[in-house]
Amino acid sequence: MQVRNFCIIAHIDHGKSTLADRLLEFTGTVTKREMKEQLLDDLALERERGITIKARAVSMRYEHQGETYELNLIDTPGHVDFQYEVSRSLACCEGALLLVDAFQGVEAQTVANAYAALEHELSIIPVINKIDLTHARPDEVAFEMEQSLGCEPDTIVKVSAKAGIGIEDLLTTVIEKVPSPGGSADAPLQAMVFDSNYDDYRGAITYIRVMNGTVRKGQKIRFLRAGSEHEVVEMGQFRPHRTSCDSLQAGQVGYLICNIKSLKDVHIGDTVSTPGKDAAQPLTGYSRPKRMVYCGLFPSDGQDFSELRDALGKLSINDPSFEFEPETSDALGFGFRCGFLGLLHMEIVQQRLEHESDVDLVQTAPNVTYEIVDKRGETLTIHKPQDVPDPGDIEEFRQPIVRCSIVVPNEYIGAVIKLCQERRGIQQGQEYLGPTRAMLVYDIPLAEVIYDLHDRIKSSTRGYGTLDYEMRGYEAADLVRMDILVNGNRVDALSVVCHRADAQRRGRAVVKKLKTEIDRHMFEVAVQAAIGSRVIARETVSAIRKNVTAKCYGGDITRKRKLLQKQKEGKKRMKAIGSVEISQKAFMSVLSTGEEG
Amino acid sequence: MMSTASETSRPPSWPSPTAAYIHIPFCRHRCGYCNFSVLAGRDDLADRFLEALRWELSRLEQPQTVDTLFIGGGTPTHLPPAWLERLLQLLADWLPLADDGEFSVEANPGDIDRPRLERLRAAGVNRISLGVQSFAADKLRILQRDHDEAQARTAVEQAAEALGNVSIDLIFAAPEETLEGWQRDLAIAAELPITHLSTYALTFEKGTEFWTRRARGGLRQADEDLELQMYQYARQAGAAAGLAQYEISNFARPGRQCRHNLGYWRGRPWYGFGPGATGFLAGQRRTNHRSPTTYIRRCLDGSDPAQECETITVEHWAYERAAFGVRMIEGVDLEAIRLDTEVDLRKTRSQEIADCRRWGLVRLEGEHLQLTEKGIAVADTVSAALL
Ligand SMILES: Nc1nc2c(ncn2[C@@H]2O[C@H](COP(=O)(O)OP(=O)(O)O)[C@@H](O)[C@H]2O)c(=O)[nH]1
Ligand code: SF4
Repeated sequence: MQVRNFCIIAHIDHGKSTLADRLLEFTGTVTKREMKEQLLDDLALERERGITIKARAVSMRYEHQGETYELNLIDTPGHVDFQYEVSRSLACCEGALLLVDAFQGVEAQTVANAYAALEHELSIIPVINKIDLTHARPDEVAFEMEQSLGCEPDTIVKVSAKAGIGIEDLLTTVIEKVPSPGGSADAPLQAMVFDSNYDDYRGAITYIRVMNGTVRKGQKIRFLRAGSEHEVVEMGQFRPHRTSCDSLQAGQVGYLICNIKSLKDVHIGDTVSTPGKDAAQPLTGYSRPKRMVYCGLFPSDGQDFSELRDALGKLSINDPSFEFEPETSDALGFGFRCGFLGLLHMEIVQQRLEHESDVDLVQTAPNVTYEIVDKRGETLTIHKPQDVPDPGDIEEFRQPIVRCSIVVPNEYIGAVIKLCQERRGIQQGQEYLGPTRAMLVYDIPLAEVIYDLHDRIKSSTRGYGTLDYEMRGYEAADLVRMDILVNGNRVDALSVVCHRADAQRRGRAVVKKLKTEIDRHMFEVAVQAAIGSRVIARETVSAIRKNVTAKCYGGDITRKRKLLQKQKEGKKRMKAIGSVEISQKAFMSVLSTGEEG
Repeated sequence: MMSTASETSRPPSWPSPTAAYIHIPFCRHRCGYCNFSVLAGRDDLADRFLEALRWELSRLEQPQTVDTLFIGGGTPTHLPPAWLERLLQLLADWLPLADDGEFSVEANPGDIDRPRLERLRAAGVNRISLGVQSFAADKLRILQRDHDEAQARTAVEQAAEALGNVSIDLIFAAPEETLEGWQRDLAIAAELPITHLSTYALTFEKGTEFWTRRARGGLRQADEDLELQMYQYARQAGAAAGLAQYEISNFARPGRQCRHNLGYWRGRPWYGFGPGATGFLAGQRRTNHRSPTTYIRRCLDGSDPAQECETITVEHWAYERAAFGVRMIEGVDLEAIRLDTEVDLRKTRSQEIADCRRWGLVRLEGEHLQLTEKGIAVADTVSAALL
């Protein structure tokens, strides 16, 4: 049987899920009746956000000119945080549908992912969707696609996924334009792990694309990178439900079930082969997912630490790219330092935690991973600001830089350029996508992007600007760790790393805010921002001078006692920084307002 | 030698009350800062009120002799002398005063006159507390008080003649008040024949006209520094005038402290009658309904006028006694509390007491805990620590 492996590259809401549904329906893989809306996006949360987070693969059968084809549609995550997973999915395909909304046109993500597909040497099939829309502007969009992606206008397939227009054409194009996979069924087994998920009854389900050789039910396999060996208990394909079979051979896509108890033991990008010396070579391009964004998560006042630990543990079973370890903060108590692939990944994990457990969370300001070369010439990897050594011990302070592609309507170009410059961006290019829109390319510190760049781009373009970014590497910068001190004691949870030139402005804003949140004590409380031992901003909470109820007779005793007791209860729940008692609410208000003054 | 545990661990027995408070809700009008249980312009309820009070007193079943009796309000002297006489008779029937007992009545300078004073004297009243608040015209107007300086002076002099033992209340830190104005109020007070002085910083209470006006920006509360200055000045002026401070807000000539109020701070039990009045007996603190009309209706229906009732355990009592007792300038005897309650605050509140000492708010000498000069201005912090 002939095989075609392909994926769909699209910006959020351009219709990827709808098109996938139509393809399943048109090929008879599911009947209309079975078709639930958005079959591929099966996680409620993902549907809420309109983001396909985890790749899935569906296998369809389709008759074309008397021949039966196996069409494997591999779903790719749409967001930059999952770039590595995207690249592994692309490595399993020979072709990609580049889907663009006939009204919205080309967006930043489309461009970034299209380039990634080209790098993997996939055949690109440009598709314009939603041609049924009354406001569709297919010709302009075709022009944009030509400009930005180099698509020839006459090769663009025009469809309406919703109305089912052009689907047959599209399938024909897939069969004709996507090359059949290479590889030999007789060669040693070599298969790529491109995804995995967890089934409560069966354990890990490993998604593979067989590059060479054949894998059979009951055989022993070896994960070459992880070095572990397992027996294949069940295998098969998703059509779209799990359908078992006895073998998969070069070119095919399917799943393996091997009695693996944790997703931590299945590494995306790993190579499946046979044990022993006849094993194939590992496939190239393997890397461990890198956590780029870290933050502290703490249970809010009075909540249980162990509940949070259990909730995080449960989550990480399904999401091995998320990691966490216990952390103790003077200010916030017991909690966890958590690592994420990116900002969106962090938001998703948080939302899941809130959906799936009752834990109320306090989150510290997110930070990126820094590299520091110390005076002894050693390179340290830093996941939290508190770990940054004192200024005197730092030889070089490096931060991750990302290349941002920002697509904006022309009238907002000026605003976005200004924003990028303020965020220490260096312009790498500017391209007009068509008469109305342009793409700006900037190299910007990731820290600035996660700080608020994304939100700011949205707000300064009335929501029309889209941002995508990819890692470029680490660069030295004039960075400092800014600490917040309360009567000379450092408040661990409030330390941040920032550019030296921003430190004073941010420090001032934080101490000002914190001052208003700290109750007066019997002594003066100094709230300071400092770099090393140098204080850059200071506010003082003056001492209580008068605190006495004038009238206190028989009838006042109960009321007064209750009032004082309530205050005392509130105090018990406060955290002590030195001898200063500060409510968690105070820390939270500083964390949530960020450093905007 | 030391007493053994078994000797000290006896079941608590609550002392029986030797004090009574009676609340009379009638006033000529309601002052803007007042949140007491008050009926302004409803003198028509005077008789029904007396009936209600009679019913409530009758629940005593038999007359109870008390050492201190305090008639507060409201304005107990607002109603006509004849009515006052009926009230005093009612109290004499149910709450006879012990020999050398203290019998206090509150009055306003605008209401008090010779006939009323004569009635009070005849009934055995030996202490009067006048709601002077100020002698300054502007301040009296802002406070919505309806007397003037001359009336206040006359009231004090006549009361002194009739009863010989006069206390006055003065408010400070009123809106727009200056330190100089306050000094003048105190200077006048010092010239008058008073034996006792109570001074209160004006407070803005929820539900009062002042509260609302302050929220809308129409009234400015005195700033904290000025209020503190005024308070400290009152303490100096009191001392200079021979009125020694014996509680946060109270000053007296030797032997003229209000025994009734001392009982509250010492955690002694008392009877309470009338709307909004609190009583404390047998480990129960009960407060009557604050609405005078509801109070009257309930009593006349023969149903309990209490609105709230709180059980005070012996342990609670120990902490309250410390927290409120420490307001007395002489301090509080922690050993006496331990003997009555078996709670030794020196152990159970050792950390809190140590903190207060470190901040210089209290002195602890043996079993005696006393506010320092610095602690007096922040006594609530100390009270909270002891609770
Ligand atoms: N009018 C029209 N709407 C479409 C078409 N395809 C998808 N949509 C709508 O566009 C929205 C986003 O589609 P979806 O498939 O969820 O996009 P995804 O985020 O790329 O998976 C949904 O409201 C769809 O109903 C189309 O061809 N025509
Ligand atoms: S006279 Fe006294 S009790 Fe009556 S309303 Fe004024 S402040 Fe209140």
